[in-house]
Amino acid sequence: MAEHATLWRPRGAWADTARPGRHGRREGPPGLIVTPREGLALASVTAVDGAEARLAEAIEARFGLSLPEPGGAHLSGEAGLVWSGPDQWLALGGARGDLDGLGAALRGAAAVADQSDGRAVLRLTGPDARRVLEKGVAVDLHPRAFGPGRTAVTAIAHIGVQIWQRDDRPTYDLAVARSFAGSLWTWLEAAAAEFGCEVRASA
Amino acid sequence: MRIRCPSCGERDNGEFSYLGDAAPLRPDGMEASAEAMHDYVYLRDNRAGEMRELWYHGAGCRAWLVVTRDTRTHAIREVQPARDVAKARATTPAGSASHA
Amino acid sequence: MLDRRPNFAPSPAEGGGLVGSQPFRTAAGGLIDRRRARDFTFDGRRLSGFHGDTLASALLANGVRLVGRSFKYHRPRGILSAGSEEPNALVELRSGARREPNTRATMAELYEGLEATSQNRWPSLAVDALSVNALLSPVFAAGFYYKTFMWPAAFWEALYEPLIRRAAGLGRAADAPDPDTYEHIHAHCDVLVIGGGPAGLSAALAAGRSGARVILVDEDFSLGGRLLAERREIDGLSGPEWVEQAVAELKNLPEVRCLSRTTLFGVYDHGAYGAVERVSDHLGVPPAHTPRQRLWRIVARRAVLAAGAIERPHVFGGNDRPGVMLAGAVRTYLNRYGVLPGHSPAVFTSSDDGWRTVADIAAAGGRVAAVVDSRSEVPVALRRMAESAGAQVVAGGQVIGTRGHLALSGIAVRDSYGGTLHIPCDTLAMANGWNPVVHLDSHLSRRPVWSEDIHGFVPGTLPSGMVAAGAASGRLTLSEALESGARLGAEAAESCDFTATAPATPRTDPESTAHTPLWRVAKPKGKAFVDFQNDVAASDVELAHREGFRAVEHLKRYTTLGMATDQGKTSNLAGLSIMAELTGQPIPAVGTTVFRPPFTPVAIGAFAGHHRAKEFRATRHVPSHAWATENNVQFLETGLWLRPAYFPRAGETDWLQTVIREVETVRSKVGLCDVSTFGKIDIQGRDALAFIERVCANPFGTLKVGRSRYALLLREDGFVLDDGTVSRLSETHFIMTASTANAARVMQHLEFCRQWLWPELDVQMSSVSEQWAQYAVAGPRARDVLKRIVDPGFDLSNEAFPFLGAAEITVGGGIPARLFRISFSGELAYEIAVPAAYGDAAWRAIMGAGLPYGICPYGAEALSVMRIEKGHAAGAEINGQTTARDLALGGMLAKKKDYVGRLMKERPALTDPDRPILVGVRPVDPSQRLRAGAHFLAVGAEPSLAADEGTMTSVAYSPSLGHWIGLGLIRRGHERHGERVRAYDPVRGGDVEVEICNAAFVDPAGERMHG
Repeated sequence: MAEHATLWRPRGAWADTARPGRHGRREGPPGLIVTPREGLALASVTAVDGAEARLAEAIEARFGLSLPEPGGAHLSGEAGLVWSGPDQWLALGGARGDLDGLGAALRGAAAVADQSDGRAVLRLTGPDARRVLEKGVAVDLHPRAFGPGRTAVTAIAHIGVQIWQRDDRPTYDLAVARSFAGSLWTWLEAAAAEFGCEVRASA
Repeated sequence: MRIRCPSCGERDNGEFSYLGDAAPLRPDGMEASAEAMHDYVYLRDNRAGEMRELWYHGAGCRAWLVVTRDTRTHAIREVQPARDVAKARATTPAGSASHA
Repeated sequence: MLDRRPNFAPSPAEGGGLVGSQPFRTAAGGLIDRRRARDFTFDGRRLSGFHGDTLASALLANGVRLVGRSFKYHRPRGILSAGSEEPNALVELRSGARREPNTRATMAELYEGLEATSQNRWPSLAVDALSVNALLSPVFAAGFYYKTFMWPAAFWEALYEPLIRRAAGLGRAADAPDPDTYEHIHAHCDVLVIGGGPAGLSAALAAGRSGARVILVDEDFSLGGRLLAERREIDGLSGPEWVEQAVAELKNLPEVRCLSRTTLFGVYDHGAYGAVERVSDHLGVPPAHTPRQRLWRIVARRAVLAAGAIERPHVFGGNDRPGVMLAGAVRTYLNRYGVLPGHSPAVFTSSDDGWRTVADIAAAGGRVAAVVDSRSEVPVALRRMAESAGAQVVAGGQVIGTRGHLALSGIAVRDSYGGTLHIPCDTLAMANGWNPVVHLDSHLSRRPVWSEDIHGFVPGTLPSGMVAAGAASGRLTLSEALESGARLGAEAAESCDFTATAPATPRTDPESTAHTPLWRVAKPKGKAFVDFQNDVAASDVELAHREGFRAVEHLKRYTTLGMATDQGKTSNLAGLSIMAELTGQPIPAVGTTVFRPPFTPVAIGAFAGHHRAKEFRATRHVPSHAWATENNVQFLETGLWLRPAYFPRAGETDWLQTVIREVETVRSKVGLCDVSTFGKIDIQGRDALAFIERVCANPFGTLKVGRSRYALLLREDGFVLDDGTVSRLSETHFIMTASTANAARVMQHLEFCRQWLWPELDVQMSSVSEQWAQYAVAGPRARDVLKRIVDPGFDLSNEAFPFLGAAEITVGGGIPARLFRISFSGELAYEIAVPAAYGDAAWRAIMGAGLPYGICPYGAEALSVMRIEKGHAAGAEINGQTTARDLALGGMLAKKKDYVGRLMKERPALTDPDRPILVGVRPVDPSQRLRAGAHFLAVGAEPSLAADEGTMTSVAYSPSLGHWIGLGLIRRGHERHGERVRAYDPVRGGDVEVEICNAAFVDPAGERMHG
């Protein structure tokens, strides 16, 4: 009702944890720069058997991107598709609502479920970003084995995560189930402490 | 142990959970007998040697996999998506079970 | 005597100064930094060493030879080795919360302020009361514990165990939480090189130069292995110079990672390895933001095992006396640390390489008391060299005994004519050949094989992808180490598709490996130890043989040979060789036990890493977490979830008081509860309904769009898996819920059904558990509250949205939401789901909207009370051992469809009418409290297993009824309403007479939730 309308503000998944500022080692430039990614649009897209071609066409039409192969992330700015399982992708949009209507657009070709708030996403970059991630991720992130446009569904500290690399600075996006955000942050803060970690305001 | 998930690549076995022998097929449908179901649920060979096993990549892509592994050496010869194996089975008359 | 050693430091009596306080330090030489003194204490005694020392080398420099007491006999022990194989010199390092027992002094780097304490002695190291055990040694022989503490069984806990525990054990763990941190790291490489000696460095260089990703690990703090310990030449460079050059090149290769202070402790299947890096162990306190240790999980395509070899001790009487050392260790202390452990050392050798010790001591200006070579033929050049060092040479002789109280003062030698010589000496260096380190290559149950060339075990079939180089492969000379390392390193890189060439093998000075092993001396004087750490003597092996424990695995377990924390690194072969002699077999026929990870002990903290204390496991927060913490919530751990349990108000002093108030508010007004922890599974597709029909035991064919239904899932073996609800949002779109505890298991089960059982069905599934914050709004005023929350246009009336309605709606002016008319409490109730980011806002909005109606938040405790009042089964009843009939849900089982568990639930045992069935119970005397876990017995029956009729599964104080109530499973329960039985709880002294009743205590007809 109108009297409550002003109260319905979303609360960020990292609101209680990734506080902006410097964490861990204080001297020198930070080895890791973290930007909480709040307010994204995310959706799981699960292909209907036999409708893969139609799905690829519809994705091409909507995103201007081809459907990623297993382990692939096809990105265009903040939008794109990240492979997340056999016949399953995570669709990305830069702002809440960007994926509205995706379910209707893909009807018959794929099932779509909103995950905008189901995953909490951090953007990680900085000279030591890979070394920090190596402490938790058992997947080889070396440039010879991984790189921009690659994704892995795996676990960090027994918490399920999905990582995709955006560029070769390197910059990674890390998605975790929302309820685990606090524990994932505790791990990240500890893992990054030796390099120094700067958290920037959420974007 | 390392298992090469067909989608995710080689991963540590900690990402997977083990179910067991992939050979027993569920006797589907209302005509299935209690005896057949009993065998499906309980009867297992304990093989020393190569065996096709069901594993679940729970900490990865959530695919069920059929892993061909030698139980004596842990040597893994083949890993297939269980869904592909199951679909092939459904189209092969010899392996198919009757559906209701 | 001192005047004859011009190179040595003056004794303390002669001069002060730092070196003067280290009477066994050479005046020059070694790889220590003499400008950086390091003060430390041993048993409170202030001592000094240098940067670059180990605790062992610093103790020896100070003339400390007695370092510990042995495990069983409390015999005085000193330092045997200079490496990780050390069985004797185990100390407590540091103090307070950082106290670390059983630290090998040979591996502990000296740092300023290091505190070390000897262990396994009382009251002091020199005077140890329990050394009387040594006098009783005949009774402490092999098998002593097995034979003595057998009977009567009752004596175990009361007497034997405390006794053994006090007497045994090495060192004390810290009694405060470890203040330091530990972490894990993962690494991947093409070539893993295990060991940084000449072979390992050559392998890493050859592989690294090709561009391959290389990881080199070495347990030492300096790379170089034996090159740091021997006086050798490579292409005109000294060993340390060559090492420096190699390491400098490796550090410049971008894809090569050198890890010193890192022990590769385990080899696992398919190229997985475990290693522990002692990041800060060489410092008193780790620097800020630095862990003490780091556990590496390495995945390598190829591995070059270059772990070197371990020297073999001789087995003779009193070979454990402080001062008796491995010859290679004596050379290490001399050449690397500038410490000659004795003023009058002697050498006992069975190989040419033992004579190097004599040459090295002589080169350092020392004097050698004697050289005893068990071989009768000794090369003339060696004999001359020894004699010029002042040594008495006994060829064809054997050391048979030692003298001295707390340290060696002399040896008894049997010469080749059978006569006995007594030779004074304070150090004895033993050289009896080398055993390749076959531990790591046998971690995957691959047995090493016997090599006649080196009279020792060498790697057999190696794990796939692994090769062995240098001494670890039985190639004991330096030139072979350099050659094999470079060749195998290059080959490893080649097999990873890099172009690599092995460089020409460098020139080295000549060396001899001539060796005739002496497995044990005949007729030793006194106990001849085989396993120093576990106090196993040659006589124990003889005893095992006499008593029939002759197979290696029996020998090991009967005598505990090789079962100490050193895994028999210095003892295994000696034990096997004696058994071979006794059984008249060659050693390879006796066989060998295999080794398991870890190669050396690893702190539990390293395995735990980040996962300790609050981070022992992950914690999941509910969407209302922030509000709850602002509002005095008490949390409850449910699996990983931190769930609000109850919300005490000012003046409430007892949790029950709070819970009663919360229940009464829900039953009379309205309450709000976060139920987001339930699993939520989005199921879509043309065959979604067919799929749900096959996984649920109750029928769904008639479920209409916009409706929810209770869902019961069985396992294929017929027991209940879980329960929840299925809601139909459209013809092809469903939402299934699963219980908090089973959410992940149910998802895995559904994936199994979809992918493996019925891949032909058109079904798409996705877990949306985390996307939606879901709240129960329950109580007679629930509709009034929700009217103020849902956007206008949605009709909440009972007619438009009846019990078990389901709808996609909007709230807060267009935010998508889902509304379900589901009741767990039995009241008029709704569950409203909003996107999780709006969970906090929704909670606050509902609390605000409910204010006029007296809303209160309620937690998991009140939720549980209300479900018990309604007789709903939950985790305590759906425990993996109950069927649908047991839970009084048999009536809803579908009859005309196939589903998981359909056939097996009809097994005779599961349809036995005597099975316990869910009932309610109430105390006959309403003032009595009930306890979950109580057993049901007939009134008057003697408690016995046979008389047991079932158990109380859940209890609660019912505010609605004003007394305790319970749910239970009791034999034929459905036929016994009104009957009285005992709820017998011997654990907590409870014995209450209860009446069996309908499980639905409140509103059994379910009128309220339909209203």
